[in-house]
Amino acid sequence: MTSTPKSSGPRSSRRHTPKVNTSGLYQRAVRESFAKLNPRVMLKNPVMFIVWVGTIVTALMTIDPNLFGTVQGNNLHLFNALITIILFFTVLFANLAEAVAEGRGKAQADALRATKSDTTARKLLPDGTVQEVSSTELRRGDLVKVIAGDIIPGDGEVIGGVASVDESAITGESAPVLKEPGSDVASSVTGGTRIISDELTIRVTADPGKGFIDRMIALVEGAERTKTPNEIALTVLLAVLTLVFLFVVATLPTIANYVHSPVSVAILIALLVALIPTTIGGLLSAIGIAGMDRVAQFNVVATSGRAVEACGDINTLILDKTGTITLGNRLADEFIPINGHSMEEMAKEALAASVFDETPEGKSIVRLAQKLGATVNFDRDKAEGIEFSAKTRMSGTNLPDGTQVRKGAVEAIKGFVRSRGGSKTADLDAAYERVSRLGGTPLAVCHNDNMYGVIYLKDIVKPGIRERFDQMRRMGIRTIMLTGDNRITASVIAEEAGVDDFIAEATPEDKMAVIQREQAEGKLVAMTGDGTNDAPALAQANVGVAMNSGTQAAKEAANMVDLDSDPTKLIDIVAIGKQLLITRGALTTFSIANDISKYFAIIPAMFASAGIGSLNVMQLTSANTAVLSALIYNALIIPALIPLALKGVQFRPLSANQLLQRNILIYGVGGVIAPFIAIKAIDIAISAVGLT
Amino acid sequence: MKRFVDALLPVEMAETIDLLLEQLRHRPLPLQVFLLMCLNLVVAPAVYATTGEAISRKAAYAIGLLALVTLALTIYLFVVVFQPERF
Repeated sequence: MTSTPKSSGPRSSRRHTPKVNTSGLYQRAVRESFAKLNPRVMLKNPVMFIVWVGTIVTALMTIDPNLFGTVQGNNLHLFNALITIILFFTVLFANLAEAVAEGRGKAQADALRATKSDTTARKLLPDGTVQEVSSTELRRGDLVKVIAGDIIPGDGEVIGGVASVDESAITGESAPVLKEPGSDVASSVTGGTRIISDELTIRVTADPGKGFIDRMIALVEGAERTKTPNEIALTVLLAVLTLVFLFVVATLPTIANYVHSPVSVAILIALLVALIPTTIGGLLSAIGIAGMDRVAQFNVVATSGRAVEACGDINTLILDKTGTITLGNRLADEFIPINGHSMEEMAKEALAASVFDETPEGKSIVRLAQKLGATVNFDRDKAEGIEFSAKTRMSGTNLPDGTQVRKGAVEAIKGFVRSRGGSKTADLDAAYERVSRLGGTPLAVCHNDNMYGVIYLKDIVKPGIRERFDQMRRMGIRTIMLTGDNRITASVIAEEAGVDDFIAEATPEDKMAVIQREQAEGKLVAMTGDGTNDAPALAQANVGVAMNSGTQAAKEAANMVDLDSDPTKLIDIVAIGKQLLITRGALTTFSIANDISKYFAIIPAMFASAGIGSLNVMQLTSANTAVLSALIYNALIIPALIPLALKGVQFRPLSANQLLQRNILIYGVGGVIAPFIAIKAIDIAISAVGLT
Repeated sequence: MKRFVDALLPVEMAETIDLLLEQLRHRPLPLQVFLLMCLNLVVAPAVYATTGEAISRKAAYAIGLLALVTLALTIYLFVVVFQPERF
């Protein structure tokens, strides 16, 4: 049921729409980072809340250094003030990271809001009269009439008329889309889009404020953002680490007094802040928001961060063949006449069967037949076109002389011929097998009980798709192709594309069965769909991506909507989900690895008089410079890592073990070494300017 | 409690108390800080007594308060660990 993508250009060259205005993003983020200092907001981030409380305590100690008892040392006001300032900036930088990430989402929401304006709608009353009302007064079930030039006042289903609609406000696709009633895909309209020709009668399907654009605004703005399961797990880990270090630091004064090396509360707070995982604590929410934003930049709207994150854990990808694995625009390549019929006869019957067929396949059959010299030799006005349906699996024409020409799936046409007294021939099976072995779709053509031949619909596997599936396999993801084609065609395409498994002659129910089977084995499944009959499977899948060109039911059942209606994008979304998880893991590793060097900086400085000076491996100038250097590094590393948190760690299609080894090497070992160098450099700088 | 207050106090005072209770329900932080400082009236003398005269009375109160803040943070972190979805 997946539709053909509307945009033909490379994805990277497509304009991201709605156009997001990011000017002033950083000014707004700075203002927002101050607003986030509100303790109620800070409470949401346990690590940073502890730093915030520490900042207040050291601020009090700046005013009175002897607040908690007499402290030895010079320039205590200045020293405590410096600690306070550094801690304050640590909190501020963490807020800034979150605000910058949120800022992009808000800019996108503003752009969407600009497309959404209150319009006057022509509401159709039960007596048939038209009443002009504001679009905000429309309710689910109301009927409205829209004519060329109007903005569609709300999400709805077309129940009358045929018109072109400009959906560029949402999708960025400038080509107008035909909307008509009765069609599974083309009958759904979105509020805020513009009708550019003719008129439509629409039944409103969403109350004001609950439409598609409203949902998109709420999501990209982060208004409905709740923590994902991985974020919750990591928050617990960070809280446990913070708790452990709080206990350690709270019990240190007793030991310090015992070894006659009393420590001031300001230094204890500095030690606590240096030891708790502030880097990941400060960047955690920014990583999650940026992940959502990356998905949005791909013109995909996710209903929750949970859905994006689930993409990273996907084990099985279920993909439609047409439009996803193959180019989708199957074209007639050859007619294979059988039963002793000539090519001319076959072309004439194929043309008669396709003359009312408006699909790309039907038009290509007409073109090929005309190329072979076939002409329509009946009065079209007196003939009747029979549309394709999933039930009959054939289409055709009822001719004026009462006879019927049909083309369709070979099995369906065999049944049609049999029902009219005809019989099958060996020729048909040979032609069918030949086309199937070429990876094409065979369409049989008959005129009443007479079988004429087989049309070879050529299907081309998308370039580069095999490499993408190889990458998926390396990442441990299994790919399953679903197709309505016969088993031979399916196996040829599956072999050519390199998918792990395929299901031929599949029905929408088969999708559901495959998902349930995979989930029963404890796997997470992702799939795409656009039709109403895909809705149950989209809801059942762990990640369901609906096409924007799809029906309202599909969009509501899915947890992601692809505005470009490009089913191949599922593969990219999975990569983004993986990247999100990898980024979070890498920065957590880095943050915890940082503790080692901070420990070596502060502990020897604290207990210098206890004779552990040899632990001062960095040869830091003094106790005060050691504490300040570690804290400055701790604060500066947060803004330094903001770009990485927003952009994500570079994604490589490797297995879980390879990724773990690589990340431990880069972010684990690097997280141990980098701070040693940075803290030493900061210590030299502090000593050079004589700050302490 | 409300009936008891209404019966004993003048209307204006009862209304003022109602207003205060209503405010405290929405903004519990001032009450929590007040209770913390009340608790410190018990903790601080204990700190002062255990340290002899090594620290001043003011420092004893500050240390007592710091200990209570640390305790409050510990409880807060335990809540985060056991009910992370609230944060």
